[in-house]
Amino acid sequence: MKAKEFNIKWGMVIDLDKCTGCGACMTACQVENNIAPMVDASNKLRTLSWMLVYELSNKKAAPDAEIAYLPRPCMQCGNPTCVPVCPVIATDKNEEGGIVSQIYPRCIGCRYCMAACPYHARYFNWEDPIFPKGMEKTLSPNTSVRPRGVVEKCNFCHTRLMKAKDKARQEGGNPEALADGAYMPACAEVCPTGAISFGDIKNPEHKVHELAKGENAYRLLEKLGLAPQVYYVSKREWVRKLGDNYAATGKAGAEKKHS
Amino acid sequence: MGLDRRGFVKIVMGGVAGTLFTPVIWQSLDDVSIWSQNWGWIPRLNKGEVKAKSALSKLCPAGCAVKVKTVGGLPFAAIGNTANPMSKGGVCPICTGGAQLMYSPARVKSPMKKVGEGKYEAIKWEEAEAMLVEKLTPLKGQDGKIAAISGDETGTANEVLSAMLAGLGSTGFYVMPGEMFTATKGVKLMGGNGQPGFDIEGSDLVLMIGADALDSWGTTVANQKAFAATRPTGGAATAQYIYAGPVLNNTASVCDKWVAVPPTAMATFALALANQLIAAGAVSSAADFGDYKALVAKYTPEAFEAATGLKADVLKDLVAKIKAAKAPLIVAGASFGQGAGALDFVAAASLNVLLGRVGQKGGMTLLGAAPKAIASAADRENAKDAGSFLASVATGKATPGALLIYEANPAFALPQAAEMAKAMGNIGFKVSFSTYMDETAALADLILPAPHPYERFDDAMNPYGVSKPTYLAGKPVVSKPVADCKDPVDVLLAAAAKLGLSLGFDTYADVIKAKATALGGDFDALAAGGIWNGEAKGGALTLGAGALAKAVPVKTDEKAVALAPVTRLAYGTASLATPPANLVTLRDTELVGKDLFVQMNGATAKKLGVAKGNKVKLTSGSGEIKARVHVSEGVAANTVAVLLGFGRSAWDEFTKGKGENVYKILTVSDEAGTGLKVWAGSTVTVAKV
Amino acid sequence: MKTQFSVAKFDQKLQERWGEVMEEKKQCKGCGGALPFVIGFVAAVIAGWVLFPDLIYSKKTQPIRFSHKVHQEQGMECSSCHTFRDDGSFAGLPNNESCMQCHADVIGTDPAEVAYVEKYAKTGKEVPWLIYQYQPDNVYFSHKAHESFECKSCHPDVGKTDTPPVYYENRLSGYSKQTMKMWQCERCHAENGVSNACHVCHK
Repeated sequence: MKAKEFNIKWGMVIDLDKCTGCGACMTACQVENNIAPMVDASNKLRTLSWMLVYELSNKKAAPDAEIAYLPRPCMQCGNPTCVPVCPVIATDKNEEGGIVSQIYPRCIGCRYCMAACPYHARYFNWEDPIFPKGMEKTLSPNTSVRPRGVVEKCNFCHTRLMKAKDKARQEGGNPEALADGAYMPACAEVCPTGAISFGDIKNPEHKVHELAKGENAYRLLEKLGLAPQVYYVSKREWVRKLGDNYAATGKAGAEKKHS
Repeated sequence: MGLDRRGFVKIVMGGVAGTLFTPVIWQSLDDVSIWSQNWGWIPRLNKGEVKAKSALSKLCPAGCAVKVKTVGGLPFAAIGNTANPMSKGGVCPICTGGAQLMYSPARVKSPMKKVGEGKYEAIKWEEAEAMLVEKLTPLKGQDGKIAAISGDETGTANEVLSAMLAGLGSTGFYVMPGEMFTATKGVKLMGGNGQPGFDIEGSDLVLMIGADALDSWGTTVANQKAFAATRPTGGAATAQYIYAGPVLNNTASVCDKWVAVPPTAMATFALALANQLIAAGAVSSAADFGDYKALVAKYTPEAFEAATGLKADVLKDLVAKIKAAKAPLIVAGASFGQGAGALDFVAAASLNVLLGRVGQKGGMTLLGAAPKAIASAADRENAKDAGSFLASVATGKATPGALLIYEANPAFALPQAAEMAKAMGNIGFKVSFSTYMDETAALADLILPAPHPYERFDDAMNPYGVSKPTYLAGKPVVSKPVADCKDPVDVLLAAAAKLGLSLGFDTYADVIKAKATALGGDFDALAAGGIWNGEAKGGALTLGAGALAKAVPVKTDEKAVALAPVTRLAYGTASLATPPANLVTLRDTELVGKDLFVQMNGATAKKLGVAKGNKVKLTSGSGEIKARVHVSEGVAANTVAVLLGFGRSAWDEFTKGKGENVYKILTVSDEAGTGLKVWAGSTVTVAKV
Repeated sequence: MKTQFSVAKFDQKLQERWGEVMEEKKQCKGCGGALPFVIGFVAAVIAGWVLFPDLIYSKKTQPIRFSHKVHQEQGMECSSCHTFRDDGSFAGLPNNESCMQCHADVIGTDPAEVAYVEKYAKTGKEVPWLIYQYQPDNVYFSHKAHESFECKSCHPDVGKTDTPPVYYENRLSGYSKQTMKMWQCERCHAENGVSNACHVCHK
């Protein structure tokens, strides 16, 4: 299968050596995307975390133990497994920039896409969003509130892309050639260590262009051939190895073996 | 000619067929399907212009300089202020969800008075303010009869509170325990004066001893920014970061090295490192170097190995790294931001003196006393701690008639919390100035709701950790508060006036403006997201040998293990329970349902005879808590780690009754030589239940 | 009395009934055949095309009889009120802040203006204007991207009106009659070679 290609490829490069796992990205994501707080947020089968920070361990005994935190947004795969399984075309990869899109009112809640996604990036609304009284006044204008019964996921804060384009038009710029930093998802914007870099991976003027090609850059589960648009960077070999625990070589760049 | 049944049926059939050729069915179906997309109970988005307004978000202890995004005037998100050097565009996880906290279900919606055990009645502000004046009037002029506890380390509100108390003839102004308090005492023991600062930004080797500087210690976001600047993605690191502490926490996770030191051995580690540095040739011109050298001679690598369970090679490696660094910096602090004694601070900070790093770029600095807005206010470095105060209330040594509690939650966030809450019962009249219904407000006789940071004027003078004098100020983002609240300082100033005391100001806004002017800053520029900075000072510090000599090594019971409370900023602070928007960041290895997890490494679990998932009881001299075991290798030897900040008995459904309050089992002891209360070295016994 | 069953008698009865049925059938010819069907069909078609469109919408009038004509006569441009903000977003209908630049107090004689000043400007309440092109939350529409079109290609041409047009609200869906449907958006996008990807219009 060949990955869908567009002229623009919005992508993230997440530096795992800088992520302290503070959780600001997750909170910013909840706020930006109008995810209602859950009383029992420890039930991870019910929570909606478009951005989720995983904890990785090198599995060594103390005091040689090391941990790393891995923020996981939607990978916006070049070759998404969630799209072909959707029976109602509620999700598609069909837009310049390569963000895997979704229309909530069209989703019938069959959850095939959730089963198909190897990154567990999709979430199902088991319940209607219930905000504490008054908190609905803090809803972000950027994402519609989804009812019970639909699947949702990270879309790189797509409305911010639309707004950045409008701003470019207003300022007489080219909405199809946004400057580096003109469009930033909430997680990347808020990150206190700047671990999340964001931009057009195909545009040499955007810093992610080079970062994604760095020697320690890799993608999760490269062997599956889904061509994610999210890259990770770590100097720690054990972290990179965990990123592709199916890869035969265990080294960064294992993708070259699988096309 | 009549219409018979047959004809009627034909007409109906014709009608049905005809309808199929009209929009009736098709459009109705379409409309119904569209109607079904917008259920009435799904909230609608707010419309209007999106703006970003500068604010000082003092939800986290350091305060984040943020831009609050509003839509149609309603705040909905907070982003960093790229122009402010304290935040440089970053936001901490608490301040990120600041807008949502305006509508926290735990917010106190109007003034309330206690009408029975756990029963409150909403009252009008006039009545509330009259009650405050009425209760304070008979206590005026009697020392110790009116007391105040402040949980705000940086606000000029403290000047108002202490000056008001002084004006009313009382010296009972107390602060909640924190790093600033202990460190300032520590500096005194080293012959200096002022609040210590740490130039993390300018250092090329940052050794954090205890201080969780990249998550919950000091000016977290500024620290994170400084760290990030030395780690360009895809490039070579320009500084080394090393963390020494009991838990492989968020800070340690990104450090080049984690030195797993049990909480009972923090000073031992620092002094053993001093020993090795001196052995490697470090010499100090400090007057007490000789005494110091003799003192640290006891902290041999063998003593280090015995106390920490680590190999002495760790020290050798550290010494080599420090010697190779151009601007090494030792950041001293308690691993959970409080409870370490001044001596723990001195032990770690003395390394900066030993290495000649005081007053240097990338070293330790001293921040002198800032000009005050109110001359009669207490000096920050003479602050007294609330824990000792409540302890003396418990024993009857102190007998205040009224207690004003400003932005503090002593009933929850002081060690031996249960006893502290009980001691508060001895005070006749307690007023809680609080935004949220916390455990202390739940014990108060009068609750006066305070505004959310977006609804008030506030400021932050020298948040702990900054390397040079720093001042931030903010003004309200919204025109009207969400609850029927008033600024506590405004209420206090009005009450003071009624008691015949004038502090020269009518509102907190005026106090802050005066403070800005006293510093030589401009309030409007500050409120627009600016910052005021002064010059950092050095200062001749000693190595604190005299004080360190009095330190008594912690005795450990064979059966007991060290308790390492863990703070994570995202899960709340001493005065803020986990905000609803942050709950999702909790891991299921930390809290599941209502069960808190206690973390320990495999060897410790084996030694204690417990396994993953076991329910256990942690018992200390001051109480017990129940938890489930999670085996994690990110905990030092003979140590158990538990998250601090859970086990809430007030607040809202998002936090109430979840987990247990670890403050309950922190045991306070008196620090030899300083008389300070310490609880960082608490130990517990662990038993299966 | 005992009734005796007889085949012959039954047969006779059957014959009689059959005759009656045939008679009825003959009578029916006058009103029968396909005519009732046609009548029903035509009536339904007329009702469906003429009455239904009227019934499905309820009529609403704007809270204030705003006259675009009067404002244009004062030399105001459309863009004086319906502006783009610096960030490229479209302000849509003006709020009190803009209106009150002139109408903080009554300056004319029109009762509609008096109503505005008293009910909204003085109380600080925003006017709940009815939006003819109201779109739901899940739609992201960029006016900036459609700037090259004339306003009236989508909006009612109200520039010269003295009384705002009647607002038709769909009784079932709750939307305005003039709310553009997804197929209309998609058709225009397709005709103009613009992407019809989900997120181009949805959020």
